[in-house]
Amino acid sequence: MAVHTTLSYRFFLSIALLSILAAVSEPTDLTTELVSLRSSSESGVIRLNDVSKFITSVATPRPYSLIIFFNSIDLNSNPLQNFRREFGFVSASFISNNKNRSDVTNKLFFCEIDSSDSESFHRFGIQSLPQICLVDPSMENLRHHERGMMEEADVDGTAESVAEFVESRTKLTVGPIHRPPLLSKTQIGVIASLIAISAPFLIKKFLKGETFLHDSRFWQYGAVLVYFFSVSGTMHNIINSIPMYLRDPEDSNRLVFFYEEPEIQLGAEALSVGLLYTGVGLLLAYVTDALVRVRNVNEQRVAMVLVMVVSFLAVKRVVYLNNWKTGYQIQMYWPSSWQ
Amino acid sequence: MAAVESSLPPGTPSAMRNAFGTVLSALILVLIGVLAFSIRLFSVIKYESVIHEFDPYFNYRVTQFLSKNGIYEFWNWFDDRTWYPLGRVIGGTVYPGLTLTAGTIWWVLNSINIPLSVETVCVFTAPVFSAFASWATYLLTKEVKGSGAGLAAAALLAMVPSYISRSVAGSYDNEAVAIFALIFTFYLYIKTLNTGSLFYATLNAIAYFYMVCSWGGYTFIINLIPMHVLLCIVTGRYSPRLYIAYAPLVVLGTLLAALVPVVGFNAVLTSEHFASFLVFIIIHVVALVYYIKGILTPKMFKVAVTLVVSIGLVVCLIVVAVLVALVASSPTGGWSGRSLSLLDPTYASKYIPIIASVSEHQPPTWPSYFMDINVLAFLVPAGIIACFSPLSDASSFVVLYIVMSVYFSGVMVRLMLVLAPAACIMSGIALSQAFDVFTGSIKYQLSSNSKDDAEDNTTTKNAPKDDAASGKTDKGEEVAKERSSKKGKKKEREPADKPSVKSKIVKKKALVLPLETSIVALLLLIMLGAFYVIHCVWAAAEAYSAPSIVLTSKSHDGLHVFDDFRESYAWLSHNTDVDDKVASWWDYGYQTTAMANRTVIVDNNTWNNTHIATVGTAMSSPEKAAWEIFNSLDVKYVLVVFGGVIGYPSDDINKFLWMVRIGGGVFPHIKEADYLRDGQYRIDSEATPTMLNCLMYKLCYYRFVETDGKGYDRVRRTEIGKKHFKLTHFEEVFTSHHWMVRIYKLKPQKNRIRGRAKKLKLKTSSGVSSKSAKKNPWM
Repeated sequence: MAVHTTLSYRFFLSIALLSILAAVSEPTDLTTELVSLRSSSESGVIRLNDVSKFITSVATPRPYSLIIFFNSIDLNSNPLQNFRREFGFVSASFISNNKNRSDVTNKLFFCEIDSSDSESFHRFGIQSLPQICLVDPSMENLRHHERGMMEEADVDGTAESVAEFVESRTKLTVGPIHRPPLLSKTQIGVIASLIAISAPFLIKKFLKGETFLHDSRFWQYGAVLVYFFSVSGTMHNIINSIPMYLRDPEDSNRLVFFYEEPEIQLGAEALSVGLLYTGVGLLLAYVTDALVRVRNVNEQRVAMVLVMVVSFLAVKRVVYLNNWKTGYQIQMYWPSSWQ
Repeated sequence: MAAVESSLPPGTPSAMRNAFGTVLSALILVLIGVLAFSIRLFSVIKYESVIHEFDPYFNYRVTQFLSKNGIYEFWNWFDDRTWYPLGRVIGGTVYPGLTLTAGTIWWVLNSINIPLSVETVCVFTAPVFSAFASWATYLLTKEVKGSGAGLAAAALLAMVPSYISRSVAGSYDNEAVAIFALIFTFYLYIKTLNTGSLFYATLNAIAYFYMVCSWGGYTFIINLIPMHVLLCIVTGRYSPRLYIAYAPLVVLGTLLAALVPVVGFNAVLTSEHFASFLVFIIIHVVALVYYIKGILTPKMFKVAVTLVVSIGLVVCLIVVAVLVALVASSPTGGWSGRSLSLLDPTYASKYIPIIASVSEHQPPTWPSYFMDINVLAFLVPAGIIACFSPLSDASSFVVLYIVMSVYFSGVMVRLMLVLAPAACIMSGIALSQAFDVFTGSIKYQLSSNSKDDAEDNTTTKNAPKDDAASGKTDKGEEVAKERSSKKGKKKEREPADKPSVKSKIVKKKALVLPLETSIVALLLLIMLGAFYVIHCVWAAAEAYSAPSIVLTSKSHDGLHVFDDFRESYAWLSHNTDVDDKVASWWDYGYQTTAMANRTVIVDNNTWNNTHIATVGTAMSSPEKAAWEIFNSLDVKYVLVVFGGVIGYPSDDINKFLWMVRIGGGVFPHIKEADYLRDGQYRIDSEATPTMLNCLMYKLCYYRFVETDGKGYDRVRRTEIGKKHFKLTHFEEVFTSHHWMVRIYKLKPQKNRIRGRAKKLKLKTSSGVSSKSAKKNPWM
């Protein structure tokens, strides 16, 4: 909202507000004012500094709906600001998708209230962020706005969820969300031309066989790395977005790294077991490929003893962890006379 | 683990040793085959020779049909016993490899007067093919790293738990033969790559055809081999052998694959196959470049290379553009949901809940690897490293195989099955190399202590071999080899591919390890192997041998056997009319058609969601509405599986929410919330009235209170909510010994007719009512 500079203007405004309070509202004027405010902001999200002017003091039904994003710049939270940006995309998409239909665009305005405006926060009864509220034309009591609040389960931080919420409540269509492309057109052009210029050189180098692709070490490390990440079940952790460790529910200072259930694993647990899996194999390879070339017999002896002790402990540890985690106990089939 | 060589003249002591080595390896291979077969017989010993689970029953039924009616009838088979009234075209919708294999085995055995039943052949198909698979593993690994590694890999594969889980006796499913086909196709590819022989290339295409016949997993082959070809080209390993290994496979293989009805034009139309065509074009461009390089002087070549590369690039770009356009025109980008979830693991969880919900499609945690490949997980990295010293075409292929399969298994636990052979090959290579080094060190130091003459012998014998090994990576020499005759090439290559640690030992004294640590290391390795064997036997005996058609439970008063399923299917087949229709949840469809030979409404081939939703809706509806749905489908009997008496957890009450969900997905008047009390699924006195009145509840708990007087459900561990009630539209006709299967008959249309008749009687004369009563078919 515009910043009022002169005293006289403020005085005039307060008079105007009083007159509004006296139910002499001019809704069409308010709509035009909102439109002008919207056109002055970047993505069409209005910074709403005066709740009473546009909501409480206007007689219902108001000619427009407001969808309000409760923001807090002081909080300096990344997810919140990302969500705010997504909210901006919805707003911009809504305006651009309904460009030539002022009857639609003038029905809904995207607004934002910052936590510095604690009075408004109090008025809406906002306890937690992020929060989005739709003020529909007939809503009177802001504190009993359950109808207009976006449900917590739906607040997942994407523009699509906001658009869906808006469409389900207002019967206005937002249309497809336009996000700015990852790379701007000039960037793409620069990259494409760089590729085009470097292509002949790369091809020449490639034909000569001098790229890193021709180095077998690159493939060797890559293969072992892929193996390491796969055996440790990293995909399981990525897909289910599992944390590296948990806090013990009974003692918050203690961290839980290992989870006693075969279907679930924690990140640190997975990586450490993956390391044990891969490490033993690499040690064996070290002995058979590298250590045989060492000339000093004593050096060989010490290294081999170390390798064997470490491998033995690693295998034992994995077996122990596996039995602990799955609860299986492998049974040996000795002849019955031995038992 | 002696390397077998054939190039030495006969009569010399080393030739004798090699002959002995050949005989020994053959003997070991036979023993490995026996091991692979017999470790899978636990299910027959502990239970009996039966077909397991659900899908194998369908395969069994198809095989029975095939053996009775012949291949042409099978090809055109329209099955009217399932998906009533729609039916299903069997010949065009199954992978026929397994049934054709078992059918052929049965036919051969019968024609040489060995009268085995079809069921016996089906039960033992999987163990027999596991023996074949371990032999194929030997061949493949031998091509990569010599016969020592081959034998180790074959022994490991014979008992790898992941493979046992899909191939115990009685588990008559596609994977049983497909894993053999997979390994054998890879072997023939490597063989072609090593020899450059068109004969093997043709065999390779035929093996690929067999794989396509057997399993949908053939797409793994047709993507992995092109990837390897591309890798070879990118790393500058292109050779005419590569061309011979690849080009015939794509042409012949695609033509053959298109012959399989279930694949058909998918072989050229779906994105899963596009990679092979793209690489097919690239390899031609590369071949052209190499050809021109051969006929031109280096200067001319430099001029030509610009031309050829630019033309090649343009052609490639055009093809890529066409492919992209093709892919973009189909809604899922031409990829099936399952394949997409492999490329983008988060895809399924986001967009396809049905795929994500299946437990086989979940990503595994680390204990799964320990359960399924056990200590191989430790050995694989050593195998990978060993494959890089030196890197050959063949070893780069197995490295690519392990990398791709281990990634895919990390996305979907089911693909652990594809990882298992790769892990066995890698571990076999690692074990063999480690044994070679340790035993070599021990042998060398023992012999150097006694200063034997034999040392000189080995020195002279192994010296040329070592040269061959070191010269192998030389590009120029390889090109020279191409031009030599086929036979000569074979002889030259074989020693080159085999690692010879002995030569290493002799080359420099430093290439040995200390004696005592080598002995300890050897003992540790043997312990590791012993642990693997113990784990595998345990897994085969305890974890993977339950047929799930016969259940057992051990309690303090001995072993209990629950054979209710077969009891009730036998009841159905003896006490109902041949053309009666039986409705049950889709899980039991295959078994009902195969064992009771009765028509079912839905079965495990879940191709028609609406039909399944209809059955789900009927099960979730009150009695009268359910009766109407079932009557409209001509159903005469309804079968439910109930575990409340003996505590069998995978019964219909536990699956019931899925029936509600699937039913509600098509018929919106069924709402999941109506069956839940505060979001909880319960069947006790707190259950919702909708739940207590639905058909599934009533059919499961009818007369249940008579068992113990309280109605205590041992699965849900609670007393049921509604204990005494009567059925109005259904009557109980059969309940199995342990109450696990209950069969109900739909009552004839008596009530409605009589009510209408009464009304009619009031209105008009009695003649009409007797007429309408006659209309009722069951009175």
